[in-house]
Amino acid sequence: MSNDIRILVVDDDKEDHLILQEYFSESRIEKNVKFVDNGVKALEYLENITGDEDLPKLIVLDLNMPLLNGSQTLLQLKQNMRFKNIPVIIYSTSESENEKRKCLSFGAIDYMVKPVTMEEGQRMVDKFKTFIA
Amino acid sequence: MKEIVQVKLDNEMDLILAHKRAMKLCEMTGFSLIVQTSIATAISEIARCAIEYGKEAVLVLGIESMGVKKFFKAMIRDKTDFSLRCTEACSFAKRLVDDIEIIRNGKEISITLQQQLNFSGTLTEGKIESFANYFKTEPPVSAYDEIRRKNLQLQELAEKLKESENDYRFLTDTLPLMMFSANTRGIISYSNKWLQDFFGFVPKELSQATWQAVIHPQDFSSFGKDIAYAVAKGTAFNGQYRFRQKSTGNYLWHIITVIPLKNEKEIITRWIGFIVDISAQKQVDQTLKDNRELKEIQQQLFQNQSELQQKVIELNRSNYELEQFAHLASHDLQEPLRKLFFYTDVLKKKYNANLDTSGHNMLNNMTLAAGRMKELISDLLSYSQLQQQKLKFEPVDLNDIINEIIKDLDIIIKEKKATVNIGNLPVLNGHPLRLRQLFTNLISNALKYSKQDTPPVIEVTASIENENILIRVKDNGIGFEEQYREKIFGLFERLHTRDQFPGTGIGLSICKRIVELHNGSIEADSVPNEYAIFSVTLPVTNAVDALIEE
Repeated sequence: MSNDIRILVVDDDKEDHLILQEYFSESRIEKNVKFVDNGVKALEYLENITGDEDLPKLIVLDLNMPLLNGSQTLLQLKQNMRFKNIPVIIYSTSESENEKRKCLSFGAIDYMVKPVTMEEGQRMVDKFKTFIA
Repeated sequence: MKEIVQVKLDNEMDLILAHKRAMKLCEMTGFSLIVQTSIATAISEIARCAIEYGKEAVLVLGIESMGVKKFFKAMIRDKTDFSLRCTEACSFAKRLVDDIEIIRNGKEISITLQQQLNFSGTLTEGKIESFANYFKTEPPVSAYDEIRRKNLQLQELAEKLKESENDYRFLTDTLPLMMFSANTRGIISYSNKWLQDFFGFVPKELSQATWQAVIHPQDFSSFGKDIAYAVAKGTAFNGQYRFRQKSTGNYLWHIITVIPLKNEKEIITRWIGFIVDISAQKQVDQTLKDNRELKEIQQQLFQNQSELQQKVIELNRSNYELEQFAHLASHDLQEPLRKLFFYTDVLKKKYNANLDTSGHNMLNNMTLAAGRMKELISDLLSYSQLQQQKLKFEPVDLNDIINEIIKDLDIIIKEKKATVNIGNLPVLNGHPLRLRQLFTNLISNALKYSKQDTPPVIEVTASIENENILIRVKDNGIGFEEQYREKIFGLFERLHTRDQFPGTGIGLSICKRIVELHNGSIEADSVPNEYAIFSVTLPVTNAVDALIEE
């Protein structure tokens, strides 16, 4: 079974889904992006993919989420043999240096603060796109 | 020898008495008249010598048992040896009785005449006892005998009295209490040894001077009143006072009791008093009291501790709540704010053509309002984080810190044409980021609250005063009224409207908190429209390098 999904966005904020969706549409990659609400759903989604070649090329994790938050999800991903090599970018409203340091030490490849301007949003999505090129 | 009767041998009258008694006892023991006369004559011979040459001679008549035999005995003894003057009498007497024996013991001498009784068997102990009783109760043989007997009785009584008085004196002297006895004029007739030893003198009378010498000055006036009342009313009194012990100079607690003694007509004849040491009891009382107080203090301490514990719990909870607030502020409050920024930006850029000038202005105002809120949230977050932080100190060069701040504030300094003069500043033990935040706030304020027509001149100086390092930030700005000196450090306190001076009202609260975290204090001083001085006082222990005075 072939799978077009290349980016998995895990965020409980529906509004952010819509904002990101806008950017992805403009870049015509909306079909390659999957949105889920929280860490539990993200892991479920990944477990259901049978072929390793169908795993996403990038996981974007929000930090503050119900059930399984961003850093907990990150830890579980990094402990799983199949998923540990998938790059993870944390994106969050929090500008806390502590939070950032913690996530990077857990194995995230980047920590991005959620955008407050159109340009910042664009730069962020451009960064995401580099992983599926 | 069982003594039956004695006769003192002082004079001729006694000689007659001795003869009569000897005759009588001989008669009672059953000797014949001839033997009676012989024995009495022999006794009289020796007794005459004793009266003549002795001093305190006594004749003792008695009966001695030796196995089944019994003997009549007459012993004449004296403290001076008169025997050499009566050898003739002795040899004469020897012919009249069975035996005569002379015993010398030191200066004492006794001459004993002995005659065996004829009917020893019939002479029982009871009978011998009855002889003794006879002589006790026999009617006086003469007026002289009567007087003699009375004298003897009186002498015995006197001796007994003396003995008894000695006993009492011994008793009162050894009792561990003080005693005295005084007549109605206060003259002390008796005081025991314990009292004399304790006072260190023998009191002569119950005068004010006597009492003053021994009673504690603080107790004296109440004692004086008590005793004066008792004397006036003729009643007993007792009270507790401190008496001075001469040997140690210490005042010890005593209980004193003074009792009037009255005769049969209810007239007071004497006063007697007892003074008992109760210092041990007082000490126990005091110790008990101390213990009780200690216990109370302990209880109070325990209560304070539990209150403190309760406060700590409350504080922890409040800290936890603050933490929650910090979390909320850092995320949940910022989240909608970020969207506000984002959508405003999208509106401005994407929908630019659809908005007229007024719409643009509104969008700009919206961004400004959101910006103020962001600032507020960030300040609050900063303040709340300061509440719970324990700072790690390291040496911080204040000169570096102030120079960095001036660089950061370069734009506004130029804009305001401000001058910042920096004195010689110390190297402190402190938290670099927080110290930077502190002085950034103070210098920013100095720039912000400047007078419109005067370029700001800001001075940052340091000095050592008493045991403290004093760092002053002084400006020539608008200052503030005296009444706001304390108030300006309060959270959300603002002295001006936002239009005049923008800000959250948290800046100086943060400053105060940072200084407190450095174990110091901050004060503000001002003359309105002339200057404002913010003085940060830190303990000198924070100093790493001694301050070099300019």
